[in-house]
Amino acid sequence: MDMNSPETQRRAMHLVMDTGKLLLENGGEVFRVQQTMQIMASSLGIEDFNTYVVTNGIFASANDCNEVRHIPSVSIHLARVEALNELSRELAAGTLDLEGAEQRLETIRAMPARRPAVIIAAAAAGSAGFAYLFGGGLPETLGALAAGTVESILAHLCRRWHISRIFSDIIAAAAGTAVALLCRAIWPPLDASITTIGALMVLTPGVSLAMGIRDIINADYLSGAIRLLDAVLVAGCLAGGVVLTYIAALAIWGVTI
Amino acid sequence: MRNPLFQFVVAAFATIFFGVTFQVPRRHFVACGIVGAVGWVTYLLCHDVAGFSAPAATLVAVLPLAALCRLFAIRFRAPVTLFLLCGIFPLVPGAGIYYTAYYFLQDEGALCAERGFETLKIALAIAFGIALVSALPLPRHRRLPSKK
Repeated sequence: MDMNSPETQRRAMHLVMDTGKLLLENGGEVFRVQQTMQIMASSLGIEDFNTYVVTNGIFASANDCNEVRHIPSVSIHLARVEALNELSRELAAGTLDLEGAEQRLETIRAMPARRPAVIIAAAAAGSAGFAYLFGGGLPETLGALAAGTVESILAHLCRRWHISRIFSDIIAAAAGTAVALLCRAIWPPLDASITTIGALMVLTPGVSLAMGIRDIINADYLSGAIRLLDAVLVAGCLAGGVVLTYIAALAIWGVTI
Repeated sequence: MRNPLFQFVVAAFATIFFGVTFQVPRRHFVACGIVGAVGWVTYLLCHDVAGFSAPAATLVAVLPLAALCRLFAIRFRAPVTLFLLCGIFPLVPGAGIYYTAYYFLQDEGALCAERGFETLKIALAIAFGIALVSALPLPRHRRLPSKK
């Protein structure tokens, strides 16, 4: 195959752009996306390749094509990130050509996500685990299991209906707290705080925090700032949700905090 | 401190469950679990046994956690993020966020500010710890063994 024909150059450019987009969409850090795209471009022989990546966009230009990709939302799928990493490594090692890489990209794009029921169950079980770790006994752990379930079902529904993240975080946190208070109403000795904290762990901005830090370490200050701002916003939303439920409980049923 | 072994196991499972929600491939579950559990048990040792403050204990706990992430990333040739995103969760200050809101509601201004500030300090400790470990240079050829 003639690597220098305009046709192949365009195809190669497309492959590099789509790989970058898929990486960013599934939770790759900005520097990884940039690096992966550069490695791929040089192994594919794209001439004059330049790229700029931020949290939600990729801009790149080569000899005779310019492309932009917008990544409006991220949903973490680390198996895809790993597979894309492997793809670029094989491309660089020369064990994969353009055609093979295109096929591989399609396979990665089609990698299945786990079923929603599995995700919800895992999030609930994780909540229960954290309630135990933060000093809960059996009632708190079970309460967190229930609260975590309700919370992740709500979060899942919000994502499916394309409700904004800010709103969905507030609602989910409020619901989790409500379930914890409900559990305390059923079983008064229960510590509603620990139950709520366990359930809140699913929603905490751990991902934004860790990724923002990694962006900043790699001197992608703009992307890092975007992610850290996201972390602060989410933390505020969680606090807001908790407050909302407590105020409602206080006003409607006179539940003491 | 309660039974450390049991804490280790529960922390590992909680981390793995979070890994499931992030679509971590099954073959990396054990590594993710170990990363999260090591971070958590180190935190407990520093906080409950040695009496460190929460931010200081978090900083100390992040160091072995992030180092393990890098080690596993090299060993399994997978991105560091894969282990770090899941493993960091036990240290994320969820309780801090909750208590800040809780004291805010109770009109406990001083306690609320204290908790909010502590939450920020814990987040900074995590950031600093990850930065410290990430900045350690490694010989290039060990990171990409397959490349010529």
